[in-house]
Order: sequence, then C-alpha cells, then structure tokens
Amino acid sequence: MDLQTLLSFHWDTMMPEFIILISATVLSLIDLFIGRSFSRKFFGWASFIAVVAALVSLISLSDHGVTTILNNSYVFDSFSIVFKAILLIGTALVILMAISDKFENIEEVKSEYFYLLMTGLLGAMFMSSSGDLITLFIGLELLSISSYILVAIRKENSKSNEAAMKYIINGSIASAILLFGLSYIYGLTGSTDLAAVQQIVSTLSGTELSGLLGLSFLFIIVGFTFKIAAAPFHMWAPDVYQGASTPVAAFLSVVSKSAGFIIIIRVLLNIYAGAYSPDGQLPLLINMQNYIFTISAITIILGNAVALMQTNIKRMFAYSSVAHAGYILVPLAAVSPLLFENIWFYLLAYTVTNIGAFAVIQYVVSDENNENIEAFRGLYKRKRSMAIALLFFLISLAGIPGTVGFIAKLQIIASALANNPINITIVVIMILGTLVSYFYYFRVIAEMFFKGDRLELQPPKNEIPFNLIVVIGVCVAATIVLGLMPNLALDNFYKLFS
Amino acid sequence: MDALNTYFNSYTIVGVFLVIGILLPLVAWGIGALVQPHEPNEEKEKTYESGLDPFHEATVKFHVRYYHIAILFVIFDVETIFLYPWAVAYDKLGLFALIEMLIFVTLLLIGLLYAWKKKVLKWM
Repeated sequence: MDLQTLLSFHWDTMMPEFIILISATVLSLIDLFIGRSFSRKFFGWASFIAVVAALVSLISLSDHGVTTILNNSYVFDSFSIVFKAILLIGTALVILMAISDKFENIEEVKSEYFYLLMTGLLGAMFMSSSGDLITLFIGLELLSISSYILVAIRKENSKSNEAAMKYIINGSIASAILLFGLSYIYGLTGSTDLAAVQQIVSTLSGTELSGLLGLSFLFIIVGFTFKIAAAPFHMWAPDVYQGASTPVAAFLSVVSKSAGFIIIIRVLLNIYAGAYSPDGQLPLLINMQNYIFTISAITIILGNAVALMQTNIKRMFAYSSVAHAGYILVPLAAVSPLLFENIWFYLLAYTVTNIGAFAVIQYVVSDENNENIEAFRGLYKRKRSMAIALLFFLISLAGIPGTVGFIAKLQIIASALANNPINITIVVIMILGTLVSYFYYFRVIAEMFFKGDRLELQPPKNEIPFNLIVVIGVCVAATIVLGLMPNLALDNFYKLFS
Repeated sequence: MDALNTYFNSYTIVGVFLVIGILLPLVAWGIGALVQPHEPNEEKEKTYESGLDPFHEATVKFHVRYYHIAILFVIFDVETIFLYPWAVAYDKLGLFALIEMLIFVTLLLIGLLYAWKKKVLKWM
C-alpha cells in the first residue's frame, strides 16, 4: 500500500477515536512524569472533557456518508454513529461519577482509573465501527482487559480481588470460545472481512457447510452472551458488581453491555441473516432463532427471580441488569423489523436510568458505609432529593408509564408482536418478568419512603458532591423528558437512517 | 456431502502433525532406551544443576520481579522479530511500512517509559 491510498482514506471519520486515544496516552504520560506530590484531581475533569469533545466531533461528523478505512476494517456508518453516541454518553457520565469515588487506595490509582475507563471506551468504539472480525476481536479484548484492571483497582479489598480473578478467568474462557466460533467462519469463507464473508456465506446456502455455520453461530453466541451477562453465562456479574467500585459497576452494566449488543447485531446480521439453512429454505438467523429465544427467556426469568432474594443493593442491580439483557435480546429473538431502533432506544434508556441509579447508590453506600438495602432506610426523610431521584430511576427500570423505560419496553413488545403473532410467548415472559421486577424495585422504594423511625434517622454525614449532582440531574431530566417526548431521540435516529 | 467431507479432510494435516508430534519424542526415547548401556552410580543420579553440586531444595520461591523482567524481555524480543524482516525488506515495503513501524515502536516506547517510571527496571 502506498502513501496515496493511505492518504485517500477519510481519516477524519476516526476523529472521535483519535481524541480518546491521544488524550488517554497523554494523560498516562503526564501521570508518569509529574511528581508523586502533585495533585491528580484534574485527571477526572480532563478525561471528561476529552469524552465530551469526542461526542461533539462524532455529532459534527453525523452527516458524513458511509466511509471505510483500511480494506473495510474500520466502517463509519449510521449504525456506528448512533451506538457510539450511547457509549460516549455512558462513559462521560461514569467518569463524572468516578471523580468523587472513594476507596482505600484511591489516591494511588486515581489517574489510572480514568485512562483505563477511556481505553475501555476506545475498545467499545472500535467494536461498533469494526467491519472485520480482527478489529472486532481486538476492540473486544481492549474493552475486556481494561475492565479486568478496573475491577481489580481496589487492590486492598479482598472482594475486589476475588471479583477480578473470577472475571478474568471466565472472560478468557469466553474469549477463547468466541475465537473458536470465529475460526469456523474463517475456515468456511477464507476471509475475516465481514462484507466479503457476507457474500461468500450466501453462496454456501443449501450445502451441508451451512450446518458448520450453525455450529459457529452457537460458539459465537456463547462468547457474546458472556459479555452482555445473559443467562446461563451471567454468574460473573453479581460478584464482579459487588467487588468493583460503584462507577466501575456502572461502566460494566452500561458501556460494556452496550458494546456486547453492538457486536451481536453486527455479526449476527452481517453473517447469519444472509446465510441459509441446510435445506435452503430459511435464513440461518431465523433457523437459529430458537436459541436466542431460549437464552432471552432464561435470562429474564432467572435474573428477575434471583434479584428477589438479594440483600446487597449492588448484587440486586447486577441481577436486574441480567434481566434487562434478557429484555434487550427479545427483538433479536423475535427478529423484529425495527430491531435497530428498539435495541438502540432501550440501551439509551437503560444508560440514563441505570447510571443515575448507580450514582445515587454510590452516594448512599459511601455515606452509610453499608451496601445492604437497609442503607436506604428512610432516605426520603434524610435526603429528600436523593430519594426522589432514585424513585424516578427505579420506576423507569420497572417500566412505569411517564418514564423512558416504559417507552423502551413498549416499543420492544409492540414491534415483536407486529412482526409475528407467534412471538406472544416471549412477550408474555417479558411482561411477567417485568411484573416480578416490581417486587424488588419497590422494596427499595418502600425502604426509602415508608420505613425508619423519624427520631432514629441520622442526616447524611457528607454533602452531595457537585459532580454527582450533575450526573443525577442529567439522568433524571433524560428519564422524564425522553419518557414524555421519546421523539427527541428517535427523530435524530431516523434522520441518520433515512 | 462433498463440501463437508472436503472441509473435514482438511483436518487430516492437523491429525498428521499431532501423530508426528506424539511419535517423535516417544521414538527418540524408545530407541535411546534400547541402545543405551544401563550402569547407574551415585554421581549420575544427582540432579543436574549446570555443573554445580545441588545444595538445597529445588522448590524455592522466585521473586515476582523475575516475571516483570521476563515479560519485558518477551515484549522487546517480539519487537526485534518484527523489526528484523522489516529492515531487510525496507526498500520494497516503502513509506507505509515505515509509518506502521514507527507507530509500533512508539507504542513499545511508551510501554518502556511506563515500566521505567513504575520502577520495574530497578532491583530493590
């Protein structure tokens, strides 16, 4: 490849990634060369500004046409724009949360904390822009390795060490299984480029080789369901969320999960929607629908049922995030025509509500030094604003009308039923799961509003930090505004996809 | 079934390598055991320790710093492996390979800076 071809690529479409990459590198170098005594407080705000700058440059690129760089290995299309926006918003909010995070050795690792969040984000962004199995896998590993270190960052906490150990071992096994599945695709098509794979795969239709393609589907789906914490590959989630610092748990439950869904959509729709089953009748994706259906159903049932029994608030949210992964799998299981917008809107709704909820949890847990649900007792009488904010987040997660969570669930159910009446089974499971989720979400609400003797309650020891006020304010506003006017987000989505 | 058979027949070569890999040491040991004389004495049965007399337990704990050094060594070893063919074929590869190599070397340089500042290179 000569210089002309190299310069002919539209490198400007990679601007958001460059901003994140350069600022993460520069921050890590600054961290190495300024003295120990120098305050590292500005790292949080610097990385927040970098992520916001990347978001701005992404928005300014939004009317740029479809571009590919380096033989299709990097694809810039409307799909990657909309999903990268979610990743960037999520990470910006998580970084704001992390600024006031407190744990044993925070002063020692404060700077690493922020640039690891940024490299994780970079991996997720490359995953959403990948047009090649190699870029996709490298993005996935960059995200995974950053999150392993982030989970282990509380070095002096034994829970955190245990969580990181479990996460890295399980994660490596999942990566190995995923790679094995991808190797089948490479073996069958001789290419890692998704566009080329798509073409070759359609010529395999009707031959016995599409049976092997089905086998690769199973391995790949196992690797990806680990990333999104869907049952039966969810067992790492509760331990990791409990052991990790609260902002890191929020990062894993929102950014990492979104990235997992992004590559599920990319790989499944690119490879398996065009391939045909051995009898040559149906696309392989429809043929394998039952497997996604089963995973989705088990995830919803198991996540909600086990969340009922949790006493630790972070474990409860871990199981709730497992259940939400099940809801987001419903459009894939039902192969809805509106799959993109359903998943995108649900991820957006989940990002704003879940990060908001984790921000309140971070404040209450660090103030009370207690991770049990009892830490929230009488919160309404102690800190009214926090209790009301958490109320909005919980009813949005539960899917009560007037909030963004309701709209997101409604869209999934409506388009699943519109596609094919046979999807009624999965829709019923989803609605029953939502009903069960009311019990554990409302238990926290009851604890906040109706329990606790007024005389025994102590006011919180610490003021709410400014950055948490911003996070919670933005999240409450987004939860309500998008709940009442979802078209604010959806119009932008359609504008890009029209 | 032809396509499927072709696919699986490609694994034959993997099977051949597997069989050769298992047979090679077995045959080497087997022939060695057949032709060698067997006259053990005390000197011969001692643990081999580079010519020295063994003086303590073999199961000692190694300091974790050895692993740091080993990992750094592997990274720069790999760098050499990449640099060498690039340097040999420099004229044919052109500017693009130069830029790629510079990116690669810069990445490793930042890694070395990190290791240096985190005091991996210092034996304390």
